[in-house]
Amino acid sequence: MSKTSYATRAAITFVALGAVTTATHAADFDWKKFQGKTVTFLANNNPVSQALLTYKGDFEKLTGITLKVDGYQEQQMRQRLVTVMNARSDEVDVFMSLPSREGEQFAAAGWYADLSAFSKNEASKDYDLAGLSQALLKAATFGSKLTSMPMNIEGPILYYRTDIFKKCGVEQPATIKDVEAAAQKIKACDSTITPFVSRGLKPAVAYTFSNMLHNIGGSYMANGKSNLCSAKGKEALDTYSRLLRDYGPPGVVNYSFQQISALYRTGRAAMSFESSNELRTVMEGGERLKDTALVPFPAGDAGQVPTAIGWGMAVSAYSKQPDAAWYFVQWATSPEIQKRMAVQGIAPPRPAVANDPEYRKWIDEEPVRKQWQAALDVLATKGSSEVGYPIVANPESRDFIGQAVQDLILKQKTIDQACADADKGLDALIAQK
Amino acid sequence: MASVANAARPDRQRAELAALSAPAVLFTLAMIAFPVVYTVWLGFHAFSSTERQSFVGLGNYSKLVADGEFWHGLWVTLALYALSLVLQLVLGIWLALLLFHAKRVPGFVRSLFISPFMMPPVVAGLMWLVILDPSIGAANYLLQAVGLPPSEWLASPIWVIPTVALIDTWQWAPYVALIVLGGLQSLPPSVYEAAQIDGASAYTTFRRITLPLLLPTIVTATILRSVDLLRFFDIIYITTQGGPGNASNTLNIYGFRVGFEFFNIGYASALMLTLTAVVFGAVLAFNRLRGAVAW
Repeated sequence: MSKTSYATRAAITFVALGAVTTATHAADFDWKKFQGKTVTFLANNNPVSQALLTYKGDFEKLTGITLKVDGYQEQQMRQRLVTVMNARSDEVDVFMSLPSREGEQFAAAGWYADLSAFSKNEASKDYDLAGLSQALLKAATFGSKLTSMPMNIEGPILYYRTDIFKKCGVEQPATIKDVEAAAQKIKACDSTITPFVSRGLKPAVAYTFSNMLHNIGGSYMANGKSNLCSAKGKEALDTYSRLLRDYGPPGVVNYSFQQISALYRTGRAAMSFESSNELRTVMEGGERLKDTALVPFPAGDAGQVPTAIGWGMAVSAYSKQPDAAWYFVQWATSPEIQKRMAVQGIAPPRPAVANDPEYRKWIDEEPVRKQWQAALDVLATKGSSEVGYPIVANPESRDFIGQAVQDLILKQKTIDQACADADKGLDALIAQK
Repeated sequence: MASVANAARPDRQRAELAALSAPAVLFTLAMIAFPVVYTVWLGFHAFSSTERQSFVGLGNYSKLVADGEFWHGLWVTLALYALSLVLQLVLGIWLALLLFHAKRVPGFVRSLFISPFMMPPVVAGLMWLVILDPSIGAANYLLQAVGLPPSEWLASPIWVIPTVALIDTWQWAPYVALIVLGGLQSLPPSVYEAAQIDGASAYTTFRRITLPLLLPTIVTATILRSVDLLRFFDIIYITTQGGPGNASNTLNIYGFRVGFEFFNIGYASALMLTLTAVVFGAVLAFNRLRGAVAW
């Protein structure tokens, strides 16, 4: 045989081998591996899961797995989860979890399956683990256990009415002091409008208050003790409660995201400091599409340290089919699905998705969406996932924070009394560990 | 032979009775006895999602005695109970008398009067949350329309308890009215005929005849409402979640939050058992009263 013939045959062989290898690699991941199985998903009935579950049929078609969804409001979902987990039941395979709230507690209780091996060794080529927000992955890692895969990124941002600002001669606030000055001016300019609204309901306060505390330069703990009575802590308590007391709506102590979004959407509030997840709700009906601007909460002495958290999808440690459950988690947090959820207003925890042409086209359609994405970019780069105390009893710690804020809104205590009482209870909580 | 057959009959009857009642007994054991016994057991243990279960004896109960939130919760529970009960009894009796004497009231009007208690508490809570919203609610709009100042309603630490009591009265006074109406309809007419002949006024008839004769029925209604009112939960959970601050934090709300939000099952069990004891105590007391006023 001639040299040319050998070279040609060798080249053809290598090309053929390469093609076969590629085909084999692509075919390596068998989506139908658990065909016929049923995976039970305990969902929090919020915009994130609602967006995800619009594609439920696609998952079932792709994998042949039947997805059984158990949906509840957030608190009821946790109650169901606690009941199921304390019974060590296999009723639930996959559940939604908020690492910033219950991550420490659930991890200590051993309720999460470890997703480290699954995500590295049993994911399809397209999954792109490295493309997920490393900050959110870190926030979901306790000890060396990766407890959930991030579904979204969110945090409180400031929505404000550009038309009211213009009418009252107010500039976009650049600092926390500017927010208060703007509220004061708007109150004098138009008494029918609530200048500022944010969370006042006791268990809900920590979400927005944490952002202000960090921007001002405060911290929840110092030297293993509660730090609310530090100078920065008091300043944060004073500022947050004063904004709500003097410029917030009547009855703000009962306000959480539902009331806040309703007030802003109906045009009765000039500024709303609420979750980025509420964009879809606030824009419902279209009235606020053209007269709303969004920014991360303005800077304090420590700059901007926005709260950035995300819901995660976790596999139950008591599931009898964690591999099949992982298939659903993998699919739900894949780039393709997160891209589809993004155009429904669910901010993706993948920077690459944020740059996807289809998503950018959706973003570019409305100025308010561009601002929303810009605010989320700040959350993604500078965000802190600390909401409440970084202890196992985080949910209980939020109650003390909320109580202190409410004591000040209702003028039931001075700042010194409010923070001292909170610190006393919180130190006891911290010591419990 | 006959005597042997007769002796076997009671045994067979007993066996038949046992077989027929077995499902009910099993149900009672599974659904009532077991949860209660298990809760008692949990109350003697430190049991949270993150702790290994450990026996602590009366540790949870001594924590309860020293817990300021428990005593505050007990106070809120009793205050809400007393206020709601009085309002519901007074309004319920008035409504019952109205329905009893107003023969020409159309059926659908009667149904409308008594419909609130058929509404799920969650629906009622959400409805009133919107109506009583200090900014956009209809209640303040109406107050201001007649020249009265707006109220903070559920957002006021002072007015939250009376407001919740009013919501519950709106929902359950018709239920009391139905019970009292049944009692009114069973009163002997001869007593009223005799009173009429003696020239008794309407007020005297009501005070000296109707009310004393209705007492057993009123006490029955009191017992039924007491069980619900001492376990106040739905309306508060939907509207204020125990706030503002802890102004409406009843024992049931507190126990629920300790168990399901803070995941401290052992302590929550102790709290709930204490509340159960309070409810039992009230029921036993009113039961004795019912015996005392029976005729």
